[in-house]
Amino acid sequence: MNRNELQEVVTPAQSILVSTRPGEQSAGAPGSSGLSIDIVVNRQRRQLDVDPRASLLDLVRDHLHLMGTKKGCDHGQCGACTVHLDGRRVVSCLMLALQADGREVTTIEGLAGPNGSLHVMQQAFIDHDALQCGYCTPGQIMSAVACVREGHANSVAGIREYMSGNLCRCGAYVGIVAAIQDAAPRMQGAEP
Amino acid sequence: MTGPGPFPDVARVDARDKVRGMTPYGADNHPPNLAHAMLVTAQIGKGRLVKVDTDAARAVAGVQLVLTHQDTEGLKADGYLFANGRSFQSVQPMIGTAIAYRGQPIALVVADSLEAAIEGAEQVSAEYVTAPFSVTLDSEGTEILAQADLPLPKPAFADKNVGDADAALAAAPVTVDAVYDSAPQHQNPIELIATVASWDGDELTVYESTQHVEGIRQGLAFELGISPDKVRVISPFCGGSFGQKNAMHAQTVLVALAARTLGRPVKLVVPRSQLFHNTSFRPPTRHRVRLGADRAGKIVAAVHEIDQQTSRHDLFPSMATDTSARLHGIPNFRSRERLRRTDVQTPGFMRAPWEHAAAFAFESAIDELAYALDRDPVELRLANELPYDVVTGKPFSSRHLSECLRRGAELFGWARRRMAPRSMRETDGTLVGWGVATGAYPSVISPSIAQLRVTDDGGIVLNVGVQEMGQGARNAVAAAVADVLKVRADQVTTLLGDTKGPPPHLTAGSWGTATAVPAARQAAIDMREALRKLQPEASNGATPAGILRHAKRPFLEVEARHQAPGAPDAVFDRMKQGLLAYVGPEFPEFVSFSFIAHFVEVHVEPATCRVRVPRVVTVADCGRVVSPRTAASQLRGGVVWGIGGALREASEVDPRYGGFLNADLAEYLVPVNADIGDIQVDFVDKPDPMLNNAGVKGLGEVANVGPAAAVANAVYHATGRRVRHLPIRIEDLL
Ligand code: FES
Ligand code: FES
Repeated sequence: MNRNELQEVVTPAQSILVSTRPGEQSAGAPGSSGLSIDIVVNRQRRQLDVDPRASLLDLVRDHLHLMGTKKGCDHGQCGACTVHLDGRRVVSCLMLALQADGREVTTIEGLAGPNGSLHVMQQAFIDHDALQCGYCTPGQIMSAVACVREGHANSVAGIREYMSGNLCRCGAYVGIVAAIQDAAPRMQGAEP
Repeated sequence: MTGPGPFPDVARVDARDKVRGMTPYGADNHPPNLAHAMLVTAQIGKGRLVKVDTDAARAVAGVQLVLTHQDTEGLKADGYLFANGRSFQSVQPMIGTAIAYRGQPIALVVADSLEAAIEGAEQVSAEYVTAPFSVTLDSEGTEILAQADLPLPKPAFADKNVGDADAALAAAPVTVDAVYDSAPQHQNPIELIATVASWDGDELTVYESTQHVEGIRQGLAFELGISPDKVRVISPFCGGSFGQKNAMHAQTVLVALAARTLGRPVKLVVPRSQLFHNTSFRPPTRHRVRLGADRAGKIVAAVHEIDQQTSRHDLFPSMATDTSARLHGIPNFRSRERLRRTDVQTPGFMRAPWEHAAAFAFESAIDELAYALDRDPVELRLANELPYDVVTGKPFSSRHLSECLRRGAELFGWARRRMAPRSMRETDGTLVGWGVATGAYPSVISPSIAQLRVTDDGGIVLNVGVQEMGQGARNAVAAAVADVLKVRADQVTTLLGDTKGPPPHLTAGSWGTATAVPAARQAAIDMREALRKLQPEASNGATPAGILRHAKRPFLEVEARHQAPGAPDAVFDRMKQGLLAYVGPEFPEFVSFSFIAHFVEVHVEPATCRVRVPRVVTVADCGRVVSPRTAASQLRGGVVWGIGGALREASEVDPRYGGFLNADLAEYLVPVNADIGDIQVDFVDKPDPMLNNAGVKGLGEVANVGPAAAVANAVYHATGRRVRHLPIRIEDLL
């Protein structure tokens, strides 16, 4: 998705331009690098000054205060930080915030419907108790949604393989597979 | 409990927040004007700091503070949790210049941004004087201590000597004598350890995911030399813990100190590579197990001898044979436990801390005995059940291990198993192995205080001393209250993990349910009585809020306490000081354990020897199951741990360097989704009639007692190879 397409995704009603400049503490003042990015996060367009060293994960957490995206390793090994970038899943700890310039990021906070209704995958995770501590869960759910969209959720073996980048130390894997099997066919109807 | 049927299958009460990313873990707190910190750690195996050079770090733009040992004057080490402290080890890094182990923190860099803190930390350099060190069980310089001779309380830490095991062994016609090793492991919850500390005047608030908010509060106050009244610790949720977060770590006080020095809140999220050295870990162990049986298959004697790693500075005791002595009814039992002092951070608790390795050793030996006797391993175990505890002569509060074995065998289809190794195959030649193992885990109970408040607008708020770390504590205590007050569990609000509430004991050792549920239940019973007094004529269908409205009372509050049978009231005083105050598994009238049986199928590819685990059946006896849904998940999780322990997990050590080499999640292998097949779990679900008023025993730990042995026994059945160490890797089978 390029920038022009992105403008189309963001309908005027959803688009709120939030600008943060050095000295404005409200968004955490990431740094006075003078490097600025223009991104859409959960349907909201933002212009942010970013530290060139900052990861997308740290941008989302420390500067946008979207705490649903978790840090479990900071090395691309656990999947807890999974977000959607232009609709594809990425581990946000392995990406520099600068690289997100002009792109659309969806975090777990942006997955539910505008009226707060749960995404079918979120409901399926509840129904199958596909979690325990819940720390890996936002990443699992972002991955699970992408896994279905990628067409990798058509068999148990496929789900297990394509969900293996998301570690769950509580060992909720049986529930996670069941949740995705349950949600996959319903997602096809429910997603735009 | 009171009701005759099973408890209702209620969805996880905190799941809706968890699937939306709304659950607040420690590091998710972001007070205004927050500064970020990063630790610098020692790069030698042992020795002394000569100089820490912080100039370059201070020159990094955004760096506000660099703390070293020179900035910690007045700070006191709190002490080791087994020595009346609240810390995971006695060494508090950055007090003094001694370096006890590789990876010990030597500096804390604080900056306006995380990026600047990281860059600053990379700029810190240090000079050391090095000293020789030993880091493995067998390294030169490792000091071997007989636990029975150590200043540890007796009889808890005495060797066991029941009957005459050596004589019975010598006379037994069939014997097994084998040595089993287990690798060091790290808990590795996905949540990293983190501290957010902020001061308001002389009052300190700490957000940190932990199993023990009161321990951190008391320990921190002691270290800083301030009153505990000035400290509040908040941890409503834990992103997994598994023993790692059961005591105070080094960074908490350093972050608090930095926040006080800077006059602004400070957050530290400890990187995983550093966590391998700055939290506890499961120590490596070596077990020699000797079993003797008569030809009819009656096990007459067992000798279980253990060597376990500890640190140079603390004694992490071995308690493994408390459980191995209770796995089967073996009338002559002797144990000997030894500790080996090495230059590591103090090892400690990790899900089934001693029992994971002990059950691997003991249940592997039982399997070896079954083959020596040519007896089916399920049948052999069933034939060696005794209704009482041979160690104390007391009855078990409940023991349904036979039922676990029978029901598990039935669900698994065990009757179709052929005894001979390598006798079962898939059509494509894949070797199939079926293995069984049992497990047990002590029931202990800690003191607990529950406060219950109902309001006329329908609010039912429970504040009770237990921490939620994914095990489903909130569901269990909510279900206990709901059961008594005849409401739905999701109508009960649970307030946990805040030192503003009643003081909570450490939640660990599978005692959370047996500790908090009886207190919550008692509070609900007291509340029911109080409501009855308000409106004696109320109908059965009357709600608590309806009764309050009828009586024109805005709210009603009760407080209930619960402690272990026979526990002195002094346990509450210890709890309030953040100290260990649990009692069990021996009580005045009985001994109490949870029990479990695991049945595992493995597939081994003949060419590559890759081991897969397509299915597991596990049946647990944990007394009454108060929260069926979360209990099932917890049990499956324990089985996943067993598979990881059997086939994957090992913290690699190089004796030349010290520390742990594979200190990240790419190299420390934990099970991934594709490693896990079907896991069918079931519960005996019979109330324990003696342990507490709710009939509950523990589950979280026993789940990981035995599954690794069942995998190893299945690998033997598939391949004919008896691997006597963990983990079992391809190279062991080629
Ligand atoms: S935090 Fe990004 S993959 Fe683990
Ligand atoms: S739910 Fe705890 S790590 Fe997955």
